[in-house]
Amino acid sequence: MANYKLKINNEIREVDVEPDTPLLWVLRDELNLKGTKFGCGISECGACTVHLDGQPVRSCSTSVSTIQDSEVRTIEGLSENGDHPVQEAWVEEDVPQCGYCQAGQIMSATALLVSNPNPKNKDINEAMSGNICRCGSYPRIKKAIKVAAEKGGRYE
Amino acid sequence: MSDLMKTSRRDFLKISAFAGGGLMIGFNLVSCSKEEEWPEFEQGINAYILINGDGSATIMSKNPEVGQGAKTALPMILAEELDIAWEKVTVKQAALNDQMSPQFTGGSTGVPLNYDAMRKAGAAARFVLVAAAAKLWKVDTKDCRTENGFIINGENKVHYGQVALEAAKIELPEEIELKNPKDFKIVGNSQKDVDLQNIVTGKPLFGLDQEIDEMVYATVVKPEVFGSKVISFNADKAKEVVGVIDILKIEGHTNPTILLDGVAIVAENVWAAFKAKKLVEVEWKKPANHIVSNEDLNTRFDKALAKKGKVIREDGNVVAELAKGDVLEATYRVPFISHAQLEPMNFIADVKEDSARLIGPTQTPGSGRRQASQITGIPPEKISVEFSRIGGGFGRRLLNDYSNEAVYISNKLKRPIKLVWDRENDFQSDYFRPAGAYNFKARVDNKALTAFDVKISTTSRYAFAQRNGEPHGTEAFPDQQPASMVPNYRIAYEPLATNVPVGALRTPGANATTFVYQCFLDELAEKSGMDVIDFHLKVIGEEDREIEYRDHPGPSYNTGRLKAVISKVRSMSKWDKPAANGRFRGFAGQYVFGAYVAIVVELSMTNDKVKIHRVWAAADCGRVINPICADAQVQGGITDGISAALYEGIEFQEGKLVQRNFDKYGKLRIKDSPDVKVKFIKNEEIPTGLGEPSYPVIFPALCNAIYAATGTRIRELPIRNSVKV
Ligand code: FES
Ligand code: FES
Repeated sequence: MANYKLKINNEIREVDVEPDTPLLWVLRDELNLKGTKFGCGISECGACTVHLDGQPVRSCSTSVSTIQDSEVRTIEGLSENGDHPVQEAWVEEDVPQCGYCQAGQIMSATALLVSNPNPKNKDINEAMSGNICRCGSYPRIKKAIKVAAEKGGRYE
Repeated sequence: MSDLMKTSRRDFLKISAFAGGGLMIGFNLVSCSKEEEWPEFEQGINAYILINGDGSATIMSKNPEVGQGAKTALPMILAEELDIAWEKVTVKQAALNDQMSPQFTGGSTGVPLNYDAMRKAGAAARFVLVAAAAKLWKVDTKDCRTENGFIINGENKVHYGQVALEAAKIELPEEIELKNPKDFKIVGNSQKDVDLQNIVTGKPLFGLDQEIDEMVYATVVKPEVFGSKVISFNADKAKEVVGVIDILKIEGHTNPTILLDGVAIVAENVWAAFKAKKLVEVEWKKPANHIVSNEDLNTRFDKALAKKGKVIREDGNVVAELAKGDVLEATYRVPFISHAQLEPMNFIADVKEDSARLIGPTQTPGSGRRQASQITGIPPEKISVEFSRIGGGFGRRLLNDYSNEAVYISNKLKRPIKLVWDRENDFQSDYFRPAGAYNFKARVDNKALTAFDVKISTTSRYAFAQRNGEPHGTEAFPDQQPASMVPNYRIAYEPLATNVPVGALRTPGANATTFVYQCFLDELAEKSGMDVIDFHLKVIGEEDREIEYRDHPGPSYNTGRLKAVISKVRSMSKWDKPAANGRFRGFAGQYVFGAYVAIVVELSMTNDKVKIHRVWAAADCGRVINPICADAQVQGGITDGISAALYEGIEFQEGKLVQRNFDKYGKLRIKDSPDVKVKFIKNEEIPTGLGEPSYPVIFPALCNAIYAATGTRIRELPIRNSVKV
């Protein structure tokens, strides 16, 4: 076991875990942040996407020991009241079906809009193709990203 | 004019006053038409409404939510008849409750099985509330009306909460008046998912998100060859992993749909369990005569198809008609496909000496409780089941093997367990869509389809589940189109038993038969020299008919409604105009699981690779309850079907499963996902479910478009084995 002080959603959180523990399981089972989902464990589905210093990463394949001073942001920390433009767009378009992939989709989409405030279809396809939606909500995800872009999908 | 509905003698109504001025109203309305098909659940339906003191209402959602929208749609129907503003309604998920039985998600039955009961429940609550207000004002109930949760009589106006206590004392009459559907304000208007805000903010809604006190985690080792049994295991290395608590053998049940063999690792946290799993050395006994490779499977199917099979329908004289010659023959094959729902299997079980608590994602909580009782010996009434929102079901969570596994482990250890499968477990312990082979022979004479002969062999899921009944049930459908449309028609079935677990997957059976029938009809259309859609319409026949349909859900379907969706998609896709340069189209249309769906796909071949541009779908599911969700269901079914058709199919190497995660088991990604345009036929027919029907129809529409583009008939799925995708 090792002790880590992690910057998560603008708070310092302390955990005692094995160094090889993926950030995903630290978030979910040590810190009770259940919004970040487990889908595959091998960076193939995107359900576990969080931001590390603003970049989307797969938390299932990111060991806690590698995080150090980086800032982690999860779906729970995206906005105070669920009113980030991307979240609002997702609500407007009623994107989710089962909903399980959507936290990961939203985290990928928010990161995309920071680096590219007006993404074209091609950019959306590129940025979002690491996120599987098993239910097939892709048509609405595309639409919601455009809606969010119009709202100005800023991060902070 | 309103519909009148009798409250039958078996109906029973409970109304009780709540502290704080609330009214709780509960119904037990017996209405279940298909119980013989779904032996897992009990008869009867029940709904609960809580009228709160402030005039708002809480509606319990009785069925599990897998993303099909039942948690929104069923309360909408109830709120409609209650006549309350949707904004004043809070929906809560009910737990397993005998008063609400059956609580079940499958077969696209949620809306059709509950529509009447939900209306009655809402209307009855409205009745007693109006009666209470009338009593208060000393006026006739006929002079009172309701609007958005208020009762109004001239100058008098109260909200429901103000008369709720009084309403609890009112008796229900024999007959309950229902709204005229023309006056519907909630039903038929888009309402967003009731969990939407919680989903986008990451609230703990799913099974994997649930926790109980003192709980520890478990995962399992599963065999590489399906159906293997544990002989022994060595856990010495695994036990060295920090946090491991125990490692134990799971003894499978004699019925493989109840529990499969494995080795369980119990640990302080998920990660420790996952790590230890890799270090457990298990000696497995492989099942005799297991499938070695995909070629091996094909050979077995060829042998099965060479047998006579059991004739399940025969009209006219197929043999004589085919003997006239010029017969078109084709053999199609479909692979085992995985559910691959995104939330891996998980369940919480807390088995104590004489009681148990279960929490998790399940489509069949009732049979979960029954099987938990069998495993533990604890009577069902001492077992509680709470169910969470489900991160994808697609039929996988109709089975209770994984909740049984959690129960088994918790029962052995007598401590609360959260079972979490990793993705590899999920593939290695899936109950796949049955694989099958289909041999067709048919004759087209002067543009008329005169004989249609099909022999089907599949790895029957009824046989696998050791269910009573014919093995062809949900594998081969005697009344599937073009049955009753061809004078000489025959369908025969021969089961093939293998070691590969099979189960229900989105439109069980129909997801395979629709593909093969509708592709073969496309071949016949070509043979006839007619336009594909014209040929279909000719086969269906000019006259509108009600055709007997003995399979799910039956009892008949209407060719007029079928032709209407076909015509609709024809105009939506501008079928009669030539496709743009380099674009090719394919069509399919059929009655599936209560709904009528017709689809046109448009694609191109870019660098010899399939690129799907657009999909048009026309659907008739009767009255549409929630348009925004209906649209998503059809889009989702189509997107899912494209994924399955292009990529999905499990492979064996030396008997071992090749694909155990999403690196090898490809799923459609957003970049390859086309625009999907959906239109519904507007009518007032009885509503049917929509979680499934579009799924099977996209397979043939897509393959027929690929034929148009390449001249290659896709007679074997997945498409990636024949054409670059
Ligand atoms: S769980 Fe991390 S990418 Fe799938
Ligand atoms: S909404 Fe179910 S996986 Fe995306």
